[in-house]
Amino acid sequence: MGNSVVVFEGVWKKFRRGERHNSLRDLIPSLVRRGSGRSRTDLESASEFWALRDVSFEVAPGEALGIIGPNGAGKSTVLKLLTRILKPTRGRCEIRGRAGALIEVAAGFHPDLTGMENIYLQGAIMGMKRAEITRKLEQIIDFAGVAEFIDTPVKRYSSGMNARLGFSIAAHLNPAALIIDEVLSVGDMAFQQKCVDRMIEFRRSGVAIVFVSHNLQAISTLCDRALYLKGTSEASGPVERVIETYVRSMGSPHRSNAGDLVDIVNPTLVNSRGCEVTVVEPGARLTLRVGYLPQTTVTDVTFGFGLIRSTDNLVVYDGSFTSQELGIDPLEKGVKRNIEFGFQAHLTRGQYHVFCNVCHNPTQRIVRASPVAVLSVKEQRTWMGVADLNVVPVVRGRQADVAGAFALGYGGPRKRESRILDPRPASSAGQA
Amino acid sequence: MWKRLLADIAELLGEQAEYRELLYRMTLRDLKLRYKQTLMGVGWAIFTPLVNTAVFSVVFMRVAPIDTGMPYPLFAYSGLLAWTFTASALRFSVTSLTSNANLVTKVYFPREIFPFSAVVVSLVDAAIASVVLAALMADYGVHPTPTALLLPIVIVVQVAFTTGIALLLGMGNLFYRDVKYLFEIVLTIWMFVTSVVFPVQLVGGRLGGVLALNPMTPIVDAYRQVLLQGAWPGPAFWITAFVSVIVLAWSWVFFHRSEFEFAESV
Repeated sequence: MGNSVVVFEGVWKKFRRGERHNSLRDLIPSLVRRGSGRSRTDLESASEFWALRDVSFEVAPGEALGIIGPNGAGKSTVLKLLTRILKPTRGRCEIRGRAGALIEVAAGFHPDLTGMENIYLQGAIMGMKRAEITRKLEQIIDFAGVAEFIDTPVKRYSSGMNARLGFSIAAHLNPAALIIDEVLSVGDMAFQQKCVDRMIEFRRSGVAIVFVSHNLQAISTLCDRALYLKGTSEASGPVERVIETYVRSMGSPHRSNAGDLVDIVNPTLVNSRGCEVTVVEPGARLTLRVGYLPQTTVTDVTFGFGLIRSTDNLVVYDGSFTSQELGIDPLEKGVKRNIEFGFQAHLTRGQYHVFCNVCHNPTQRIVRASPVAVLSVKEQRTWMGVADLNVVPVVRGRQADVAGAFALGYGGPRKRESRILDPRPASSAGQA
Repeated sequence: MWKRLLADIAELLGEQAEYRELLYRMTLRDLKLRYKQTLMGVGWAIFTPLVNTAVFSVVFMRVAPIDTGMPYPLFAYSGLLAWTFTASALRFSVTSLTSNANLVTKVYFPREIFPFSAVVVSLVDAAIASVVLAALMADYGVHPTPTALLLPIVIVVQVAFTTGIALLLGMGNLFYRDVKYLFEIVLTIWMFVTSVVFPVQLVGGRLGGVLALNPMTPIVDAYRQVLLQGAWPGPAFWITAFVSVIVLAWSWVFFHRSEFEFAESV
């Protein structure tokens, strides 16, 4: 520890379930109950629960920690503990130095005050001194891009302007630690990019960052380490590994999905050798085998197949095939049909899952199964992105190289399963 | 125990120093909003005590004349001025935390800021309304004597007392919303058991003895003594001064220690 800016040590946090007595009417009966000898511990165990159980982490200057987990995992509680809005029931939670929070960045805004007045108000709420705000005023207005409207009451602002101004004030604080909660979704694309750049700039200048988000893609871009939270710490360590653990735990593949239309039975994802796989290299030839068991005899159905990037729910592929096309119309009751969806995983590194569905066109009734398989693509070459474009760089100009260009494979020289299926032969690179 | 108390006091004073800009901004916000949206703006600060003075002047000069030892409008206005400060400060404070729930649950800063700024806003109103008092004094030919130099002490005592109660009320309403309604009733009664529009000493008897315990009476009386009568405040005022400081210190520490529960209780 030593030089850590953010210290979260063995923190437990207990909450009361439901409302506390908020009026005297509720208080009096509860006092009577307490007085009448019912033991306190009984009452407590029934109405209280632990939101966090023994959570520890530390963040050093210039380090970024991402916190991920399902809804209700205690992520917001962690943020509220860090920003001192809540106090831990047990354990220690501390930020050494000024804490900046990109949470509710416009919480202090008053709609009737002008943008300028609100900058000073919100700045003061965040603990800035007047001189400091005045010094940064121009930058704040500039960053938010609201210069024209700075003397207009913020109630006339669009919601985007409002959020941008709030974010801009928070982004010009000089914090030792920065706590971020999903705010990167503020404003348009250009502004979002500015925000991300600002975060990276903060990190480079030695600010410790704690970032909570459901967008795992953003987490993996910004953070070095991650913590998978689910009441207690489920996993922590390098960001890619923790995200993989999290995604795996979220979507355990469905083995069957019963519907009154068609049952989807035993979907399995296999490689070209017919073995079940979960980790592949880019371009791998894969097959999803699915069984369909009709509950009644149906005609005119569509079989859907698709792939989603788990970290941000990006739909990579969503295609459908009609029963006529496949020559299995009608589907007779009780006669199981197997369909193999062969595809090539032209994907970059990340976590993906496969889904499939059946749609009865006349009634638009749909049976879905998602995820039916999970897939990790491993490679070292790409930084971001989703599609493996099979990029082949060629160095030209020197005599010796003209004959045979050196094509790079993913993660160094290794044999790629997909090579034989490559539409373009490897040697053609040299002739092009 | 004393050690912890001193540590707490050091902490809460330190926080106030750190966030002094916020107190200023919050007060400015509330003042601006009031004067931005109302037609009469500053006029409201004067209007309320002035109308009350007129009403009570009719009652206590024509209907049931009483002896106040000074021109009645002067007696009533000075009393109402002092009373209005405490009453409006408390009225704002009661809901100051609950109406700013979005801030209380989302951003950390010393929560005292809300009741404090309610008190400061009311103090500004009182300062504006005191212009009328000066005019009334000039009109009735009452000139301030050297005892008027004690005025700041009286103001400090009233501010301390009001702030102490404001902290408790704001916090109370956060935990139990009944406090707001209960407080409205108490406030009405409180005004008539304080020497605001008539000297409460006139009540007499056993009830009078009980009413003498009301700390607001010595404070309101002290204003008249130092400003209008050229006299020193009596011992009751100095006892009240002492009690006010204790009340403020105790309620502030209490507030500070309960602060972390606010976000969970709003």
